[in-house]
Amino acid sequence: MMAQGEFGVSNDPEINNPNRFSEQPPPPPMVASEGIIATDITSKFTAATGALKPGELVKDAFFTLFEAVGALEIMDPKMDSGCLAPGESLDEDYDVTRPLQPAQVVGIIDQLLCLEMAWHLGYPLSQTLLTNVYIEAMLMPAPTNLREADFIRNHAEGARPDPMFTVLRAYCLGLLKSCWYVTERIKREHYYEEEDFVTNTYHRSLLDNIDRNEISNEIMAARKIIHQMRHALTDKMAWALDFRLGLRTAFLRTIELSELRSNPDSLSLPWHHMQGVWEQIHNSRQLGTPVPEAFSPKIQRKLASTMPPRPIVQLSFEETSDHFRKLIKDGIEVHEVFKYSDPQSLLNFVLTFQAQKPQPLVYIRTLLQFYLFRDMVILDNLSIRKIIDDDLAIVSMPKHRLLDPVNDVVEAPHDARFAMAHQMELFRQRATQSYLDIFRAFCQNRCRVRRTLCHSIQDWETVQMDAEELDQLLQIQLDEKPINFETGSEGVSSPEAAYSLPLSSWAYLYKLRLMEWIVQLGFELETYQPIEMAGMYWYLAYLAKIRTSHLGRIRSFITHRSNELEPKSSTTRARPSPSGPSFSSSGSPSSSNGGRSDTTASFSSEPQFVRSFAYHRVSTLEAAVTWELADGLSALYTALYRLRLIVPPPRPYSSDSLRYDIRMKPFAPIGLPELPSFETFTEQVTRPRKSIGNLLEIAREAIAGAKMGFEALSKYNENEAFAVGCLGRWTEGAKNGIKSAIAAGLAVAAVKNGIAAAAATAPDEEEEDLDLGNFLQVEVPKPEKAYHKWWIVPKVHVGEKKKT
Amino acid sequence: MATTSTAGHASIGLEKTTTTAAVAGPLGALPGELKYVQYEHSLESAYLPAIRALISKDLSEPYSIYVYRYFLYQWGHLCFMALHPEDSSLVGVIICKLEPHASHSPPTLRGYIAMLAVSAAYRGHGVATALVKKAIDAMAQRNADEIVLETEETNVPAMRLYERLGFLRSKKLHRYYLNGNSAYRLVLLLKRIDPDAAADFALDDGDITPR
Ligand SMILES: CC(C)(COP(=O)(O)OP(=O)(O)OC[C@H]1O[C@@H](n2cnc3c(N)ncnc32)[C@H](O)[C@@H]1OP(=O)(O)O)[C@@H](O)C(=O)NCCC(=O)NCCS
Repeated sequence: MMAQGEFGVSNDPEINNPNRFSEQPPPPPMVASEGIIATDITSKFTAATGALKPGELVKDAFFTLFEAVGALEIMDPKMDSGCLAPGESLDEDYDVTRPLQPAQVVGIIDQLLCLEMAWHLGYPLSQTLLTNVYIEAMLMPAPTNLREADFIRNHAEGARPDPMFTVLRAYCLGLLKSCWYVTERIKREHYYEEEDFVTNTYHRSLLDNIDRNEISNEIMAARKIIHQMRHALTDKMAWALDFRLGLRTAFLRTIELSELRSNPDSLSLPWHHMQGVWEQIHNSRQLGTPVPEAFSPKIQRKLASTMPPRPIVQLSFEETSDHFRKLIKDGIEVHEVFKYSDPQSLLNFVLTFQAQKPQPLVYIRTLLQFYLFRDMVILDNLSIRKIIDDDLAIVSMPKHRLLDPVNDVVEAPHDARFAMAHQMELFRQRATQSYLDIFRAFCQNRCRVRRTLCHSIQDWETVQMDAEELDQLLQIQLDEKPINFETGSEGVSSPEAAYSLPLSSWAYLYKLRLMEWIVQLGFELETYQPIEMAGMYWYLAYLAKIRTSHLGRIRSFITHRSNELEPKSSTTRARPSPSGPSFSSSGSPSSSNGGRSDTTASFSSEPQFVRSFAYHRVSTLEAAVTWELADGLSALYTALYRLRLIVPPPRPYSSDSLRYDIRMKPFAPIGLPELPSFETFTEQVTRPRKSIGNLLEIAREAIAGAKMGFEALSKYNENEAFAVGCLGRWTEGAKNGIKSAIAAGLAVAAVKNGIAAAAATAPDEEEEDLDLGNFLQVEVPKPEKAYHKWWIVPKVHVGEKKKT
Repeated sequence: MATTSTAGHASIGLEKTTTTAAVAGPLGALPGELKYVQYEHSLESAYLPAIRALISKDLSEPYSIYVYRYFLYQWGHLCFMALHPEDSSLVGVIICKLEPHASHSPPTLRGYIAMLAVSAAYRGHGVATALVKKAIDAMAQRNADEIVLETEETNVPAMRLYERLGFLRSKKLHRYYLNGNSAYRLVLLLKRIDPDAAADFALDDGDITPR
């Protein structure tokens, strides 16, 4: 079903004028403008339309579906915002000067909190905060100064306003001002309008021209009044009001600090404060008395929008509370990003922060972008060049001559270092945007992350190709000698003289990671049907296997350079495995060392090498574990398919190969690694030459290997894991990996038992022909029910099918 | 942000086809054989109000009359109605369009299922399946390369129906609907896409409809 349109065709307030269709057609407007002669075409138009049959469409080629959906039907109450039911009045009859009890103020504020959160979640102001009569009265007509920013504009001269009005007004001031800041923050970063957030304010100014300090002072003054009245109010009620105002103060304070380049530690202080305050608000929610009549969807009619009034978005206070707690928790944690240690930890920070379920709200996500990228200076004091060079040093070029800052000051053009500096600069110019885009991409909503990465891989394909050209130029400048390097991970290894290609190797590694993330996000976003699982886990294993061996290639060259630089100790060094783990005969990586090969990390004394080997240790293990668990799950799903425990729908209008084309569409343009042909894919996924017993054994072994790998990962410290500032989240991922592997192992065992039980009843049947339906039931869980959203482990229930 | 496809010039060939199909649902509650009728402009006054009513029933916001006419006037031949055998009242309807999709090079001829609904009392008897099949057949006959649609992530019956016919979820669209729900884009490929054109094809982000 199509989406319905929601966009302003016209912001002309005249459209909202309910009086525009009076009995008599209004006289044509007097158009008096130089060079324009007005002609009344009413009668011509009426005559022309009379010649059309009903339903005939008169349109030019540029009238698209977009316009059609945007069109409104006059006098349809669901579309025409000016259309009133008989006897209905346009205006609210609510009197904002009516006296309010303290409990009512609490009630109104709590309702405003719910609406504010709905707005953070992506609903427009029109259906949330702008449905409140006090806010409407405060904003219309637009206040030009603090005094006018009040829902009661004409206080009697000298009269002291009702303290409850003062409190509510101060609250609304703080609320609206923070909404303005939030909107501005979001608008300045990358986000998707309407999808993540609606920035439309419908021509209402959210107090943008009123100074934040003035507003803070008003809140302070109101809190003072509460304090003075606390006996009359009762302590409880006084506190309830005070906490609510305190929340506004703290929120404004978080915004103020976020803009300053102040000490990062102080940035999270007001967030911590909010955390305490929120619990007090939560605990005092019963003190409020709701005032439902202070909220009305009718107010939307006065907004500059062509949208007809839509219902107020009603979150419960409990839901609101959960979202606020999460907002505040994320607001605290996002500041850990300033504990910068290295670019890989930074990437892990962003990855794990955004992978949380639920994902942080768009405001927090844009705050993270702001911190990362403001003025294109990452995290305030690191230059982008430093980040990229640091990353290159970790991944493929520890202590590399190309990264020597001295190169930059060489002025003699014939000096090799002059050329190196120049080529490296070209490389940085080429790669920087693509590199930063990875961070940016992961700050988007999860659906967009996947869609964006589908684009990025093509970009990285060209980055890699361009980098390879530079690599080839640079290897001449460096006078690099090729080394014999064992290629091929398919069992046959043939030594081959090869160059290190450090820049393109770096780019290729990122491209491979992006490709894996696309597949993994496919699982997370429930894009694949159960019948596709075997194939998609196979493809994930395929990519992870290539990454494992690519890491091995990089590592060999690093080892080689490390040996050259420290020749004395080379005899004590264990020989690293030149390529990653190789496929065993079963096609599973588990029987090899699964990437948990020794690396020379502990043998090099040069810190840059130590760090790079540490990186290779964790990444190789992580790639191998991905390869193993994906491989194991693929084999398990194939077994379930062959046992008819997962049954494909009939699908009369498509073929396996056409579906393969759609599913693999993002990867088809990629040259390296090339997308396997449909025939290869089918052969590899269905493994026709393996018996079901073989498949389950492959699965068991691979899953057991993955479990051990995850266990090792879960014990890494923040430096070993390159997870400085995010170890908790990182380790949780590894632990959920362990649980997934355990669950997968149990599923394999259950299938084996089911087969044994079925075979006992029908000893003459081949495995494939057994009717297991009476012994086993398979359920493919939704990602949110899985231990890890990237590991969709089938649940295998043993026992008689329940007759329904 | 959501973008729109540009309107192309679809040839308007209004040929009349009326067929009947046996629908023997497991519940056996269908009033015999429904009539499946291809829409045409002369049926507007008789059926457009019923079509609108049937489709609006499951929508929080109605589409304006222009949206229906936009489709029906240009692609009436891709709209099919299931009618009650006795009183010819509307039981189900499918509304589609078929246009070159602009962001592809070379462009694909892309069918789009815009609306599908079956009256609640007649659901679960394959009426929607029959309507979708007719629409796919009509679009395939007109050389469509692919057929796409969006459906709400929570609409399990619709997703099952399309996936049973061969559609795949190609991507998820975050908060696609006004009610805040996300959608899946479902795709049915009818022909192989030229691999050389695959680059652009893969990049296609153009959401069919505005939000
Ligand atoms: C979605 C919708 C169109 C489905 O209509 P329907 O006529 O009930 O659909 P079908 O009968 O073809 O398929 C529904 C079920 O009936 C079953 N069925 C019963 N008899 C059948 C038959 N003779 N042939 C095929 N299927 C049959 C189908 O197998 C299917 O089973 P499932 O629930 O296991 O998937 C309908 O629910 C509807 O109008 N919903 C509201 C609008 C909407 O959501 N539109 C889709 C937006 S894109």
